[in-house]
Amino acid sequence: MEKLVEAEELRTNFYTFEGVVKALNGVSLVVNNGETYGLVGESGCGKSVSVRSMMRIVQAPGKIEEGKVVLFFNEKDRNKGIDILKRSEAYMQSIRGNDISMIFQEAGTALNPVLSIGFQVGESFLLHRRGEMIKLAVKTLDKKIDENSNSLFRMWRKFHKRLLQNETDDLERYKTEIVKIDSDLYRTEGKTDSKSLEKHKRLLVNRERLNKQGLKVRLQLKTPIIRRYVRRINAAVREKVIELLTDLGVPNPGNIVDRYPHELSGGMQQRIVISIALACNPTLLIADEPTSNLDVTIQAQILDLIRQLKKTQISSVLFITHDLGVVAEICDRVTVMYAGDTCETASVKDLFKEPMHPYTKGLLKSVPKGEIGEKLQTIPGTVPNLITPPSGCRFHPRCPDVMEICKSQKPEMLMMKDGHSVACHLYRKK
Amino acid sequence: MILVLVGVSLIVFAIMMLIPEGQRVAIYVTGEKIRNEQIDSLIVKYGLRDPAPVQYFRWIKNIFKGDFGHSITASAPVIEGFKMYFPVTLELVLYSTPLIILVGIWLGTIGAVHKDKPIDHFTRIFAIVGYSLPTFWLGLMLMMFFYGLLGIFPPGTISIVGKDILYNPEYHQYTRILTIDAILNGNWRMFWDAIYHLTLPTINLVLLSSALIMRLMRSSMIDALGQDYIRTAMAKGADKKTIYNTHARRNALIPVITISGLMFAGLMGGMVITETIFARKGIGLWMARAATQLDVAAIMFNVLFLGVVFVVINLIVDLIYAWVDPRIRLT
Amino acid sequence: MNSVNNENSTSAINVDYEQPVSQHPALTEAIFTVKRFIKNPLSIIGLTIILVFTLIAIFAPFLAPPENERDPYRIPHDGWTISPSPPSADHPFGTMEQQYDIFYGIIWGTRSAFKIGFSVVLINLIIGVILGSIAGYYGGLFDEIIMRITDMFYALPFLVVAMALVVALGRGLQSIIIVMIILGWPTYTRMIRGDILTIREKDYILAARASGTSDLKIIIRHILPNSVYSVLIVASMNIGATVLTAAALSFLGLGAETGYADWGQMVSMCRNWIVGPPDARLAYWYVVFIPGFVIALFVLGWNLLGDAARDVFDPKMRRK
Ligand SMILES: Nc1ncnc2c1ncn2[C@@H]1O[C@H](COP(=O)(O)OP(=O)(O)O)[C@@H](O)[C@H]1O
Ligand code: SF4
Ligand SMILES: [Mg+2]
Repeated sequence: MEKLVEAEELRTNFYTFEGVVKALNGVSLVVNNGETYGLVGESGCGKSVSVRSMMRIVQAPGKIEEGKVVLFFNEKDRNKGIDILKRSEAYMQSIRGNDISMIFQEAGTALNPVLSIGFQVGESFLLHRRGEMIKLAVKTLDKKIDENSNSLFRMWRKFHKRLLQNETDDLERYKTEIVKIDSDLYRTEGKTDSKSLEKHKRLLVNRERLNKQGLKVRLQLKTPIIRRYVRRINAAVREKVIELLTDLGVPNPGNIVDRYPHELSGGMQQRIVISIALACNPTLLIADEPTSNLDVTIQAQILDLIRQLKKTQISSVLFITHDLGVVAEICDRVTVMYAGDTCETASVKDLFKEPMHPYTKGLLKSVPKGEIGEKLQTIPGTVPNLITPPSGCRFHPRCPDVMEICKSQKPEMLMMKDGHSVACHLYRKK
Repeated sequence: MILVLVGVSLIVFAIMMLIPEGQRVAIYVTGEKIRNEQIDSLIVKYGLRDPAPVQYFRWIKNIFKGDFGHSITASAPVIEGFKMYFPVTLELVLYSTPLIILVGIWLGTIGAVHKDKPIDHFTRIFAIVGYSLPTFWLGLMLMMFFYGLLGIFPPGTISIVGKDILYNPEYHQYTRILTIDAILNGNWRMFWDAIYHLTLPTINLVLLSSALIMRLMRSSMIDALGQDYIRTAMAKGADKKTIYNTHARRNALIPVITISGLMFAGLMGGMVITETIFARKGIGLWMARAATQLDVAAIMFNVLFLGVVFVVINLIVDLIYAWVDPRIRLT
Repeated sequence: MNSVNNENSTSAINVDYEQPVSQHPALTEAIFTVKRFIKNPLSIIGLTIILVFTLIAIFAPFLAPPENERDPYRIPHDGWTISPSPPSADHPFGTMEQQYDIFYGIIWGTRSAFKIGFSVVLINLIIGVILGSIAGYYGGLFDEIIMRITDMFYALPFLVVAMALVVALGRGLQSIIIVMIILGWPTYTRMIRGDILTIREKDYILAARASGTSDLKIIIRHILPNSVYSVLIVASMNIGATVLTAAALSFLGLGAETGYADWGQMVSMCRNWIVGPPDARLAYWYVVFIPGFVIALFVLGWNLLGDAARDVFDPKMRRK
């Protein structure tokens, strides 16, 4: 199996008035190419913060303190990754929504209440596929130029075509420059000699400074009346959005694009959020409890949709849930989290058959299996406050197998057998 | 809307009824001084001792006829006084309101984006000081410094040279708003003269009134930036500028819009004081003079007028609110 | 919370959370609040300003012994010379027109300011609590009427109406106070009504109602304490605003008579002295600067206090 994304020892804190919330305590996980990967744990254990850290979209007052997030997207050189925590913000922006995208727990709040659906979905196209959109716009424009013989109209349209051409040229320039810088960056990545480090640093600065739009294009986008040509791009985007929504099974997409989020049902809102994420065919889709707040039937529909998409469009899915049933249903491999720690990673089959970590065992015991008369057990105690988390193994106050060492020493991740690892002192080699 | 206007008229009328009849007579008398023995007959003549409802309806009827009585301070019918004073005020409003809104929103956004950085503390202190400073004191200080010490930005609306131009038969006063007339006449000298006199009053109003908007904009922008939809925008790959300008600002503006009605009320009060200090002959100064000289007709007219303007402003604010927030549109 | 503090224990605030839960939550809350309040430098500045003014008001007779014990608010003056004289040993802040002593005016004006601020805000608060409670708790026609009346008040620009009212009642500090009471109560009424509406349907209120507790008791015991913070914040900021408005009205010539120890009145006298004689254009700066500066400081103190209190009490701010 090839790695796609690897997070290593992520630590993220939130600096609140009440104190520092140590939300992630060294989280590590690996998503392989082509798999559906599950991340489970009680709510509040840091699942969302983990994936947000991986995308570097932790909002204030949060801060990623240390760790690595390595991407292995480069086709030529699969073994060498890019640590995105060290890359520039501009680089991240080109990755987000393009290579990795994310769908959110609460679709209702994830959509901007004052922007139309069409705009919110279309923005992904505008951000990452502007070139294609312009091409589409030019195509329709060409058709119109041929149709209409009124010379004034014709001139106006030709002028617009000229402006669109300017943008295309400009994008071309940007693309060549960025590709060059990126490949240079990639070459200097990880090298430790002072000369390469120096160069790497300089390249990062250059990339940040590189103007996405040249002066000419910025001017034509800002000048009143002249900038009206943008409407032609928007019309093309609108077509694409309608196409995308149709693909995702949204009924009546032509109407939906002009609506606002509050006018849609919860299930429909979630579909819109998914369509935003899927607009640019990402390599990795991160789904942060996409079904938690939906009715059961809608939940099943959305799950189906994601499974479908996994087959047809996206190579890998990182699926977050607190529902072990869902994990069993759609995941290949799974990591269990507790209070900012990763406890256990295994294939779904192994995890259900022979759970190792006491917390995993507890979780499994608390899941109904549908047998009549079965007794459900809950794990005693509550999730700790992460401002003053328990020392050593964060699970120790609730652990049935707690030992003396657990209180003082954080257990390391131990590889038990192929693809099954666990972080617990019980399994330390004596 | 109509109901609120009726309410406003009732309140103004109630205030008017508090004034002794002897003084209210002045509304109806043009020019010359009244002798004491005349007062009683005049009170009877104008029915000032009639039951309140009767007087109210008579007053309303006069208003619809455009008859607001005689103003002592303007030594003219109130309506004539209004035509004289209003353009001066309108001019100041025209320049200060957009500036207040822009400065307030701009500084508020800066504060929110750089939360807890030095620039944020700076804008915060600016705001608190801004709404603590008495309008009149800031105005006096500005005047003392610029006019008193440096000898620039004199009080008044126009210089003596400007006045000569104004009364030149070739110079047309289309709107009576100095700067606009100057542009229409193509007279740049006049234009700069008017701007020169507008500078300090505008600064005074902007410094004081933008503070409120700034504070609110800062907190609602911080609020908006912490919302889930901002995270969605980040996950899409949007850059900072797009996030601030497209995704956060509009949402942040919603509470600011609701408060802007309040800001206008403050602005009207500030206008009275600013015009008094900088000796600009607008309705604010007129009101202040009327208040000290017991010019009942002028006071009542201005309260009524400003009340109506305020109601209209609130209506406009509501419309803008509905335009910005699509959730309101349907209801 | 049954743990020892471990890894990188950072800020001092942690201490709050290590304390056992056995402490009464309200007490923990109060301690936390006070700590936050003290940590904010702005609130300390505000508090200091207000404290200094309070001390000045209390010790006014010692700081500036009145010439006439029965009428201490009359500022003493040295002759009738028109133009102000600069600060000197006799007159630390100089004198105004007609030689009124500025220092004396400032000291005793502090008392006037407190009088104006407290009387207006307190009476408004009482009216607001009574009307707001009744309107919010019982609703119905009474609520409707009160709300429509407050609507009308909100539909008018404050200072402009205040001017007209003061003229109608006759000029003077007395009228200014009355006018601000007439115009001020709707704010508090609305606020308290709004608070009560949100609390009214809470479970514990319904329970208290069901168990037959009298309405008055419910309002006083359960409802008012809940809205007390927000109301107090607004009240504290309004003390400053009230003094400011009163000063503005005085400035326009509607306030106390010349020579009365009131800051607003003192400012209104300074308008003629902005620009001095040609050879010394700032000759009379003290007349213009000092009274206005004191007003600004007073208002600033209350605003800082209210602003800091809002940050501390606002549940939304606390989480960030
Ligand atoms: N904005 C924030 N401010 C403070 N603490 C936060 C914030 N966001 C998350 N946390 C903390 O991080 C921890 C993990 O939260 P989260 O990742 O949302 O949990 P999950 O997604 O597993 O339900 C929680 O304990 C929470 O208190
Ligand atoms: S390390 Fe110790 S406390 Fe933690 S899960 Fe294992 S046995 Fe329990
Ligand atoms: Mg979550």
